[in-house]
Amino acid sequence: MMMNRRKLGTILLVISAVLILMTAYLAIFFAPLPQTGVKSAGEVMSSVEGSKLQVAGFVSAVYHRNPNRAPDMPEHVVFSIADFRDYMRYVQAAEANHLNQQWWTVRPIDVDSYFGGYVVAGTSPDIGWRITAGTNLSVNGIVTSQEIGPNSNVTGFSLARVSGDDFAFGPVGSFGLMTAPVAQKIFYFHMPSAWACYLSFGVTLVGSALFLKTRNHKYDRVAYSSAEIGIVFATIAITTGPVWAKQEWGVYWRWDDMKLVTTFVLWLVYIGYLSLRAAISEPSTKARVSAVYGILSFITVPMSFLSSRVAPLLQSSHPQVIATSSGSLSPQAGMTIGIAVIAFTVLFITMLIKRVEIAESEEELEELKRNIGEEE
Amino acid sequence: MRAALVIAAKDLKVELRSKEMLSAMFLFSLLIVLAFRFAFSNAVSSGAVGLPELASSALWICFSFAAILGMYTSFAKEKDRETLDGLLLAPVDRSELYLGKALSSLVVVFLVDLLSIAFFGLFFSFDYSGQTLAIVAIALLGSVTLVLVGTLVAAISVNTRAREVLLPILLIPLIAFSVIVPSVTATKNAMAGGIGDSVQQIESVAAFAAIFAVLGYLTFDFVLEG
Repeated sequence: MMMNRRKLGTILLVISAVLILMTAYLAIFFAPLPQTGVKSAGEVMSSVEGSKLQVAGFVSAVYHRNPNRAPDMPEHVVFSIADFRDYMRYVQAAEANHLNQQWWTVRPIDVDSYFGGYVVAGTSPDIGWRITAGTNLSVNGIVTSQEIGPNSNVTGFSLARVSGDDFAFGPVGSFGLMTAPVAQKIFYFHMPSAWACYLSFGVTLVGSALFLKTRNHKYDRVAYSSAEIGIVFATIAITTGPVWAKQEWGVYWRWDDMKLVTTFVLWLVYIGYLSLRAAISEPSTKARVSAVYGILSFITVPMSFLSSRVAPLLQSSHPQVIATSSGSLSPQAGMTIGIAVIAFTVLFITMLIKRVEIAESEEELEELKRNIGEEE
Repeated sequence: MRAALVIAAKDLKVELRSKEMLSAMFLFSLLIVLAFRFAFSNAVSSGAVGLPELASSALWICFSFAAILGMYTSFAKEKDRETLDGLLLAPVDRSELYLGKALSSLVVVFLVDLLSIAFFGLFFSFDYSGQTLAIVAIALLGSVTLVLVGTLVAAISVNTRAREVLLPILLIPLIAFSVIVPSVTATKNAMAGGIGDSVQQIESVAAFAAIFAVLGYLTFDFVLEG
């Protein structure tokens, strides 16, 4: 039995190594770059006025043109969109209470949502009225006018693609448009590790519940081994995220983004779980008490997963990938992420088998030490 | 349920006789508000921090730490005086014990909440402008959620070495988004006279109270066994 499992672990290790190399290859050479294009404001206006476009950016102002509309009339909202990189400038202006002054570098376009409607990342279109200045969102609509800010020569702004009706309505919340398309490649490692960490903590939950039910220490070993591995994957997820965010948003971290902070709290909770285990010496108390905390801490997993989806209580501009209203990934990107998820799942299973093996040896060693102590 | 009430009444009676916790908590809330007064005196007088923003955040820091302190003592006292074993021998369901402990902690924590609100108004010359009732109601709801999860985590940490350090480590991440963030927003809205804007925040705190109550009720048995 022991020998078989060791063999299985080795085979899985080889498989996961191959799959991860494959993910890296696909991410670099096969997955398409997200659409992007940096143009000057003037160039943008001459080419897009009156046409449909899709743009992602940072809302600098919102106007409701027809607040007293008849109930059957669509709401006519106009957004001013600035580049994501204006975010820090916005924060500084907000902190200094200068929001009424111009804080943007370019305020290139007003997007009229009258025709196309707009899609706010992860929410249904009908929550548009909740958009306020400061929201990050992606918009699909008709360009009507432009205003250029005081420093318009300094920067251009990114635009996904401007075209006619054939516009492929891509995953707006995900990769429809990115200011830093190459940095997006890290997604193929970021999202699978986030998935693997949710999976690990799910296994901890199940292991903890089964331990409390059966009192078999086998389940306790699985629970804490899985929690340790989960922390490793969570660490990968919350360190690869900022690498991308610096390129895309202009900042490494945003404390007002619920997805980021809830995931950080998730990480803290499971660090707490390990500290709890370290602070109890009696093995059966340790297993029993930490199983309860292992169950309790799982509530942070749905909190982290849902935080970019349940609007507007929890606001987030974190991209969404699975099942959004804004469409799906391109087949190549979908295939790459599929293989990446399989790779990380296999890697998780491999690590779990190995870690449980180590845990068994550790417990055996403890047992031997105790026996020696008794004999003396 | 009756057993829970009896346990809560027992805790409160012990407390009323010794007044040990109450006096400590009184001083605690006085000092923590004073600490804010001193730490923020420049920021407040220069206008860099608005009083309503400071009030909503500072009050919830007071409430959370008071709750942590209160719930820690609630179990640590029983453990140190070796009365916990007696309590466990009592022929009642452990879940009743959980509810009773949560209830007695709630009374103490809520008293500290009221004191902190009063001290804050006093030391910062802050006018709650007729919204005191709304603020107290949010404090009560938030404290219910705090004690429901806190009682369970306090019982967990009482089993460990270094339990005074471990309780905040285990509890603060859990209450950050279930209690503190939504309650601070709700309190801030209430101070601006718009408690109606925080329906979602209040619902979410209440939903977490329900989740923690169910989890605590089901798992408390395992924490204190043996």
